Amino acid sequence: MNKSISPYFFALAGVALLAVGVYFIKTTDDPHGLLRALPYIFVGIGSGSFGHGMEGILLRYAKNHAPAAAKQLEIERNDERNTALANRAKAKAYDMISFVFGALILAFSIMGIDFTVLVLLVCAYLFMLVYNSYYRYKYHKEM
Amino acid sequence: MNNRLEEIRKKRGIKQEELAAALEVSRQTVGSLENGRYNPSILLAFKIARFFDLRIEEIFIYEEDERV
Repeated sequence: MNKSISPYFFALAGVALLAVGVYFIKTTDDPHGLLRALPYIFVGIGSGSFGHGMEGILLRYAKNHAPAAAKQLEIERNDERNTALANRAKAKAYDMISFVFGALILAFSIMGIDFTVLVLLVCAYLFMLVYNSYYRYKYHKEM
Repeated sequence: MNNRLEEIRKKRGIKQEELAAALEVSRQTVGSLENGRYNPSILLAFKIARFFDLRIEEIFIYEEDERV
């Protein structure tokens, strides 16, 4: 994400989106179409944005008030073992997601779920595989 | 890969925390390196060697029949 954008902006925008989402959830009696999902999307994006903003604010605060702690935090973040652990965990999670997605598609097809949903799931699954292949090829060129 | 990191560090009277701070890695990384649970990148290996003013081979011992 763009680092030049102030974390205060993210935090405030998050709170605003959250408030709008909650307002619509509380006030709309009989929502139709997009309005059924939109407030919840606002709440989701608002929460994420608020969390991201608060992280930035706390990091700034730590840098100004506790430089030693901030330095330690930076070391922990850039530590090569931590990075290797995170990447390994991500790889395991990817393997599991591929398996779960496959099982889910199979289960949905047996259950006779709506064809559109099934096609969307298959597309998402294929997108994931293509994305994997693309980065494999890209890194193959780079390394 | 084996290493003599713990032995060399203790001989020089350096704490794990101090070594970690000098190498800009976490203390857990130093611990894992010393236990042989984690093999460093070539960059970190050079940093360690430079810190102790030794050659990499004097700290890290490569074993031929090892599975990477």
